[in-house]
Amino acid sequence: MSVFTLSQSEKESVLLKELSALTEHHRERCEPYARILDASGFVAASAVSELPYLPVRLFKNLELKSIPDDEVFKVLTSSGTTGEVSRIYLDKAAAAEQQRRLAATVQTVLGPKRLPMLLVDTKAMLKDRRSFSARGAGVLGMSTFGRDHVWALDNDGAVDLDAIRGFLEKHGGQPFLIFGFTYLVWLHLYEVARDNGLDLGNGILIHSGGWKKLIDQAVSPSAFREALAGVGLTDVHNYYGMVEQIGTIFLEGPSGGSLYCPDFADVVVRDPETWAELPPGKPGLLEVVSTLPTSYPGHVLLTEDLGVVHGIDDGDWPGKRFSVLGRLPRAEARGCSDTYRSAA
Amino acid sequence: MSVTFRFGTPGDLTAPSADRLTVGDPRIVDFLAKLARKLLAPAVARKHPELGSLGYFLRPAELHRAVEKMRRDDALIFPRGNVFHLPPANVDTIFVYSWALSALAGNHNVVRISSRSAGAAETILDALGEVAADADPIVARTQRMVTYGHDDAITGALSTWCDLRVIWGGDNAVDTIRKLPLRPSARDLTFPDRTSWAVLSTAGWRAADPAARRAAVVGFANDAYWFDQAACSSPRTVFLVGGDGDEVRAEFLTLLLEVVDARGWVVDPAMAVEKRVNAYGLAAIGAAGALDFPDNRITALTLTGTEAAPRYWIGAGAFPFAEAGSLLDLVPAMNRQDQTVSHFGFTPAELQAFATELGGRGVDRIVPFGSALTFGAIWDGYDLPAEFTRLTVLQP
Repeated sequence: MSVFTLSQSEKESVLLKELSALTEHHRERCEPYARILDASGFVAASAVSELPYLPVRLFKNLELKSIPDDEVFKVLTSSGTTGEVSRIYLDKAAAAEQQRRLAATVQTVLGPKRLPMLLVDTKAMLKDRRSFSARGAGVLGMSTFGRDHVWALDNDGAVDLDAIRGFLEKHGGQPFLIFGFTYLVWLHLYEVARDNGLDLGNGILIHSGGWKKLIDQAVSPSAFREALAGVGLTDVHNYYGMVEQIGTIFLEGPSGGSLYCPDFADVVVRDPETWAELPPGKPGLLEVVSTLPTSYPGHVLLTEDLGVVHGIDDGDWPGKRFSVLGRLPRAEARGCSDTYRSAA
Repeated sequence: MSVTFRFGTPGDLTAPSADRLTVGDPRIVDFLAKLARKLLAPAVARKHPELGSLGYFLRPAELHRAVEKMRRDDALIFPRGNVFHLPPANVDTIFVYSWALSALAGNHNVVRISSRSAGAAETILDALGEVAADADPIVARTQRMVTYGHDDAITGALSTWCDLRVIWGGDNAVDTIRKLPLRPSARDLTFPDRTSWAVLSTAGWRAADPAARRAAVVGFANDAYWFDQAACSSPRTVFLVGGDGDEVRAEFLTLLLEVVDARGWVVDPAMAVEKRVNAYGLAAIGAAGALDFPDNRITALTLTGTEAAPRYWIGAGAFPFAEAGSLLDLVPAMNRQDQTVSHFGFTPAELQAFATELGGRGVDRIVPFGSALTFGAIWDGYDLPAEFTRLTVLQP
C-alpha cells in the first residue's frame, strides 16, 4: 500500500475539491478564520495555489480551532525558536486520522510490519517537559511504528555503544528501523558506526530536523547520504513536517535528494515578491496543503521555510518532488524599543 | 568584564575626572560642527539619508541657537555632570542626538552602543574618530562610547557614577535598567514604548494641488520607510479625517507606490511575511475589515474603528487606515503612549483645537508630513537642554 500514487493533475483535482470544502467547513466553524477570508475578499479557488493560506505563525498568536471546546481531545504544542508556542486543537476523529495517515505514509518505506527500532536519542529527553513538546512528540509519534525499542544515547545524552551493539547483535540481521533527528544521527550514529565498524546495512533510517547544524559543519544532504552509505546505510528517508499539520509528512524517496507529497497533501512554492506560484527550479516560500486538518484551519499554510520544486511526475513517486532549503530569517525591526533586549 | 571603546580615550569609565567643560563649551561646539560637515558630505548623505538630518541638526548655527536657548536670566546654568546614555540598538542616529545635546551642555558622557549597531551607526563612529584626531583631546577624555554585553555589573557601576541616566528604548528596557540603583541625587530620563500616527484631512487633500499632494506623500514615505516604520515617531495608522476617504486613500496609495518605486526601496521576504502575519492577525481579531496588498512594499488595512488601531509594530510599509469625522473625534483614541501625530491638510486652528483638547494627556508632537523623524530639543514632552543642565541661583 502506498500513499504516493496520484499524478500531479489527478492530485490537484482531488485536493482542490477537498480543500475548497475544508475552507468552507472552517469558515463556518472558526470565526477568526472567517474574518480573515472576508477581509481578504476570498470567494472561491479554481486551483490549489489560489486557496487562501494562513501564515503558520498565526497558530502561535491566535486560538484557531473549528471544534467546540468540549470536543477538544488533544492540544498539541510546539515551542518555536522565539519562545512562542503553536497550539493545535484536535478532536478524536482528527487525532485518529492523523495517526492513521502518518502510519500509511511511513509504511510506504517500512512495510506493514513493525520493525525493531533504534532511537537515536535519549530517553531522558522525554522527561524534560520543555523539549518534550517538539522533540519528544516527534520521537513518541514515530516510536509507535517500531518494536523492541532501544535508545542509542544514555540518560546523559552520551552514546551508549553497548546498547547499540546489543541491538545490532539481536536485530541487525533483519530489517530494522532507525529514527532520529538529522544532526543526532550524524553525530551519534554515523560517526560511532564509522569509528567502531558497526554494520547498519539492514537499517531503514527515517530522520528529520533542520539541516542548519549540519550545513554549519559543511555536511550537505548529499554528503550525508554518501557518508551513511559508507556504513552500509542506504535506505535513508529524510522527512519534512510540522506540528501545525500533524500527521502529514513529506517523505524522501528511495533515490534520495527529493521529498515527495502523499496523496492527501501537496506543496506550493511562492515568490515572496509577487506571491505567485513559482515553477520547478525556482526557490521561494513553501506553502504546505493537506486534507488532514479538519479540527483547525491548518489545511493551507504558508511556512517560513524556503523550498524549491525540482520536478513533477518525474521521480521515484508521482507528483511534485522538492527540497527544503532552510528557514527564512525573521524580520527584525529597526525600532526604538530594543535597547536592552537580549541578543538572540 | 569586557568593554570595547568605540569612541573616546580608553580607561576606567567611572574614575573621577579633573576635566571641566562649560555649557556651550567652544571645544565641543567646534567638534560637533566638524562632525556635521563630515555627515553632510554628499557621499555620506547618498548612502544614509537619515544622517543628513543629523548633520543639519549639528550645524554651528543650530548649535549656537541651542546654547542660546539654554541661557536664563534668573539662574546660572551649568552642566548636569555625568550622563549615561542607553540608546536603542537599531535606530542608528538617536544616540548621536541625545549625546550631542548632552555634550553641548558640557556633560561628561558615556554612551552604550549596542553590539548590533550597523550601517549608519558605523559611519557615525568612523566620522567621530576622524574628527577627534584634530580636536581638543578633552573631547575624547570626556565623551566616550562603548560596547559591552548585557552586563549588570558595568551598567550598575555607570548607574552609580552618573547624575542622569538616559534610557531610550521600550518599556522592557526601562523596567530592566531601573532595577539598577542610581545615586540619591541622580535621576532617569526615560523614553519608553511610543506610538505615532498620521492624520490626513480629506478636505485639505482635495483642496491641495497635485504637486502639494505629491510632496505630502514624499514626506510621509520618508517618515514611514526610513527606519522600517519602527522608529518611535514613524507613522503607523493613517487617520482619514473629514469623511469620504475612499477616493483620497486610493490616490494616496497610488502616489505612495510611485514614491516607493522611485526610491527603489525593497521589502525583504521576511518583512513581507511579517506584514502578512500581522495583517491576518488583525483581521482575525476583527480589528481590520479589509486587507489590501497592492504591492509587496505596501500593505493597506481597513480598520473597523479608530480604537482598533494597533499600538505595536506590524512591519515596514504596513498602513492601517481608519476614518474619523474630525480631529476632535480622535481625541478619545489617543493616550499617554502616543508621541507624534504627523499631519497634512489641516488649518492651524484645527491643529490648535486638537492639541488643546488633548490637554497633554497624549501626543507630544504634532508636525507636518515629512517631519516625523526630525529630532528636536523638545522630545517626548521633555525639554532636553533643561534636562541636561542644572541651575544655580545667585542672589548677591
